[in-house]
Amino acid sequence: MKVPYSWLKEFVDVEYTPQELGDKLVGVGFEIEEYVYQRDSIKNVVCCKVLSQEKHPDSDHLNVCVVTDGKDKYVIVTGAQNVTVGDIVPVALDGAVLPDGKTIRSGSLRGIVSEGMMCSGGELGLTEDDYPGAGVHGILILSADVKVGSDINDVIGNDDVILDVAVTANRPDCNSILGVAREVAAICGKKIRLPNLSYKVTDKKVEEFVSVQDESFDLCPRYMAAAVYDVKQVVSPKIIRDRLKAVGIRPINNLVDVTNYVLTEIGQPMHAFDRNNLSGKKIIVRTARPGEKILALDGKEYELCDHHLVICDAEKPVAVAGVMGGEKSSILPTTETVILESARFARDSVRHTSRELNLHSDSSARFEKGIDFYSQEIGLHRALALFDEYGWGKIAAGEIDLIEKKSEPKSLVYDYTAVNSVIGIDIAKEKIVSILNALDLDTTVDGNMLTTVLPPWREDLDGVNDVAEEVVRFYGYDELKPRLISTKRGGKSDKQLHSGKIKALMVSYGCQETVTYSFISPKAFDLIRLPQEDVLRQAVEISNPLGADFSVMRTTLAPSMLKLVASNYVRGNKEARLFEVANVYLPKSLPLTELPDEASHLSIVTYGEEEDFYKIKAILEDLSDVFALHFTFDRANEPFLHPGRSAYVYADGNKIGYVGEVHPLVLRDLGVDRRVYIAELDERYLAEHGVGIKPYKAISKYQAVERDLALIAPIDLPAADILSTIESAAGDVLESVEIFDVYVGGQVPKGKKSVAVTLTMRLLNKTLTDVEVNAAIADVLGALNGIDVSLR
Amino acid sequence: MLEKIKAISESVKNKIADAKGSAELNDLKVKYLGRNGEITALLKGLKNCSPEEKPSLGKHINALREQVERLISEREQILASNELDRKLQEEKIDVTLSVRDSAVGGLHPLTLARNELVDAFVGMGFEVKEGPEIELDFYNFQQLNIPKDHPSRDAQDTFYVDDNIVLRTQTSAVQARTMEKEKPPIRIVCPGKVYRLDDDATHSPMFQQIEGLVVDKGVNLCDLKGTLDEFAKKFFGEDTRTRFRPSYFPFTEPSVELDVSCFMCKGKGCRLCKGTGWIEVLGAGVVNPIVLKNCGIDPAEYSGFAFGIGIERCAMLKYGIPDMRILFENDVRFLRQYR
Repeated sequence: MKVPYSWLKEFVDVEYTPQELGDKLVGVGFEIEEYVYQRDSIKNVVCCKVLSQEKHPDSDHLNVCVVTDGKDKYVIVTGAQNVTVGDIVPVALDGAVLPDGKTIRSGSLRGIVSEGMMCSGGELGLTEDDYPGAGVHGILILSADVKVGSDINDVIGNDDVILDVAVTANRPDCNSILGVAREVAAICGKKIRLPNLSYKVTDKKVEEFVSVQDESFDLCPRYMAAAVYDVKQVVSPKIIRDRLKAVGIRPINNLVDVTNYVLTEIGQPMHAFDRNNLSGKKIIVRTARPGEKILALDGKEYELCDHHLVICDAEKPVAVAGVMGGEKSSILPTTETVILESARFARDSVRHTSRELNLHSDSSARFEKGIDFYSQEIGLHRALALFDEYGWGKIAAGEIDLIEKKSEPKSLVYDYTAVNSVIGIDIAKEKIVSILNALDLDTTVDGNMLTTVLPPWREDLDGVNDVAEEVVRFYGYDELKPRLISTKRGGKSDKQLHSGKIKALMVSYGCQETVTYSFISPKAFDLIRLPQEDVLRQAVEISNPLGADFSVMRTTLAPSMLKLVASNYVRGNKEARLFEVANVYLPKSLPLTELPDEASHLSIVTYGEEEDFYKIKAILEDLSDVFALHFTFDRANEPFLHPGRSAYVYADGNKIGYVGEVHPLVLRDLGVDRRVYIAELDERYLAEHGVGIKPYKAISKYQAVERDLALIAPIDLPAADILSTIESAAGDVLESVEIFDVYVGGQVPKGKKSVAVTLTMRLLNKTLTDVEVNAAIADVLGALNGIDVSLR
Repeated sequence: MLEKIKAISESVKNKIADAKGSAELNDLKVKYLGRNGEITALLKGLKNCSPEEKPSLGKHINALREQVERLISEREQILASNELDRKLQEEKIDVTLSVRDSAVGGLHPLTLARNELVDAFVGMGFEVKEGPEIELDFYNFQQLNIPKDHPSRDAQDTFYVDDNIVLRTQTSAVQARTMEKEKPPIRIVCPGKVYRLDDDATHSPMFQQIEGLVVDKGVNLCDLKGTLDEFAKKFFGEDTRTRFRPSYFPFTEPSVELDVSCFMCKGKGCRLCKGTGWIEVLGAGVVNPIVLKNCGIDPAEYSGFAFGIGIERCAMLKYGIPDMRILFENDVRFLRQYR
């Protein structure tokens, strides 16, 4: 809300500077987004008297003038032909700034140094309506009584300060000068002065000009109208024009300006109809009939639906209620009689209509914030008072006021200590009462009980908490005494702690954590080559996404991670280990009938010289150790993974993810020409089933015995099978078994591979004897024979 | 024989001292002490001596043998030590060379900030709660006193899945769920991802919040101030000052914004605080009794306070990150700064 300081002063005798006032407003809940000092738009333009004027010796069309600001003399070269000696003119001296942002410097014009520039009205942002003579072709000749040496800003009234006040959604009343003035009055401890609301009327009655029917009180709870006839269409007076310009509204003529002025000052949107174009001299407020259309003031035709509220004459819609008038009933130069509308339209109805038609106006913006019942009356009266004050027309007696039922002012009755218990300090009853009264919240006292009458413009106030807020924002938040609440057992759940542990482990592996968007492009599923019927394509869709690239909620982390690899690779990062722990969103059905399952996944990607399948797999294997889970791996079949170098991960028999090299076709599409490895696990499984504190296990004091075995195995036999066979055959004596070499070719028969393993054997309570070791080895070899594995 | 002993005793010293390596020393050992060595020969020759001479000569020979043994052992130690010195010298490398393969990773700065924020509140007895990101409109808005078409919905443009399901715009939804399930006293913080239709240098369509809720008997604005003062000191530094400014949120009444004194300039005014000396960090307030009632808690008996902190904003302030989008680019060169 742009609030010109001068306009405020008309309502309240403000004794603070604009900056001081701004600080006070921040203190009571109104942030100041910007201070606009009008003077900043024109700098160092001084009213000077022309002392002499001569032809430029080297130019036919230039004149050389000497001017004075009363102290010094300046030589000014000008091309203008309308200046005569003795004129007072605005001169932009060296370093001057003009409204278009231009800076004026001294400079030589055909050999004569001009110490500035005389300004035209246009160069000062003025039209003929702003200052007489501003519209002429040539220099602005100022009125003869202008004091030589004065700043042009003072002469043309470009000296206001505009406070751009941020108004929170609970205070729609403050989207007006009047509303902000009420707060300012309370800040200053002054009474507010209402603007002139009185006017003379003629003998004619409003009913002679128009009749109004409200057929939709739910969408239009109040409709007021008045008639002004014999209207004059003129340029508005300077004060109205200046104020409208100050708040960013272009002045047009008095009939348009008056509605904008009232909208700004009182906060009530108004509309003016040309009575002669209202068929049947009727206004009917109703919802549109299916198929009805209206040509709006923006020149476009809109098709209406039966939930759009419209203002109609006897035949057709003439305005979309609260949004925009129709062209057919609009004010024309020939307009003689104006019907002024001042109505309350339901917030949600205007909001819906405006959005559905994609038709927005200052009026709809204001209605969407909410208008109180008080504004229609005061707004209409204010507009009529302006008509009267400036003699713009004759005002018919009476006004039409359709209101379903006039509501009595609400009041709150409460114990004043209840206010203090919200705030937490003891504010004296008298202080509470005086703060509320200063805010026009009339409060009376009966013992400890207070009664506060809520004014109609404060529809936000509802209970003691609201009263407490009014009190504390004027009493001062700095008066609060910080207090610490008593303690309670807090902390993170085991699951949350486990998640932290997973991240710590990833970090120890040199992985960098990433954070990527939860929404992805549906094309991401093509990137990872998912078949059309793949269940992962069943993703939750956002109905109003930022764009197609962010339109579905991911069901796998793979596309996000792969894109990160691509973006890092493109930026010349030759290697990276990245991980992310984030939710995937798995709908139980589509469209959603209940909220989707949100499963936290861990994804890891690696690429670079040193990376390979076994390295990323090792990270997972360590993860299983850390959480005392038993992971097994089985060849995977995923469209985005290398079929020969990928595996599913099982934890205690449950499939919880995959690990593998990324399929070359995926990498080709990503534009990455090196091998990339990826893994994704159901982090939730780890967090929920992982063992946080593992039971103590005694460690043996005795020597271990190591035996290496060189084995010959079928080439396709998974190493895991060999290991598990050894583990179960060796029994208790086996501490660990590791494969340290796998070899194919050379002396190894075709279809076979050589596998070298080390068995480490040890008992907890005694040294192993050769006999025991040999027996174990014999058992192992026997079992291996069963899977076609023999000693080399 | 005595002369012979003397002669050996004299010559052996230099010979051992001159030995250049363990092989040479070994030869000397054999030469003197070996089975056919000179000293062994002397001992064997004793049997030909007279019984009177024998004891004295025997003593001399033994002394000689001990002397030789000692000299050899001393020389052995010197040689071994020299050998090691030489070997160590040979193994010298250029210690300024480096072959790091960056084995240490790091958490994302957002996680670092989030952890620090969570820890600050856990330390004050808050329990950490989580909830769904795809949320019912009911919990995200309606239970929190934001009916459909409420103008404050404009302020946080919402991603909708359908009329009743949204991507949560605030983690307050978790508060509503918690209040429905648990009886006071409640003291929780809810960290997590939230979503709003916004994308520029200071807004991301996905960001993280941590929201807190306390519901108990007699909770008021001063409790809120006390809690947030503690938090601000913990997170922004012990000498941080705070101030409340009135504001508006539909789920709190009264509502406030918390400013902290600028930790760059200590409140004097700088670029970070835009000259004001204060930085806006969070919104808070006394829980609107309507919200308590909606969630099945009797506002006559209980009251509460709530606050919401933007994790991105905290991370950007703390780590001096100028543009929110950098946080989501995940360039490893950026990420590695936070190892």
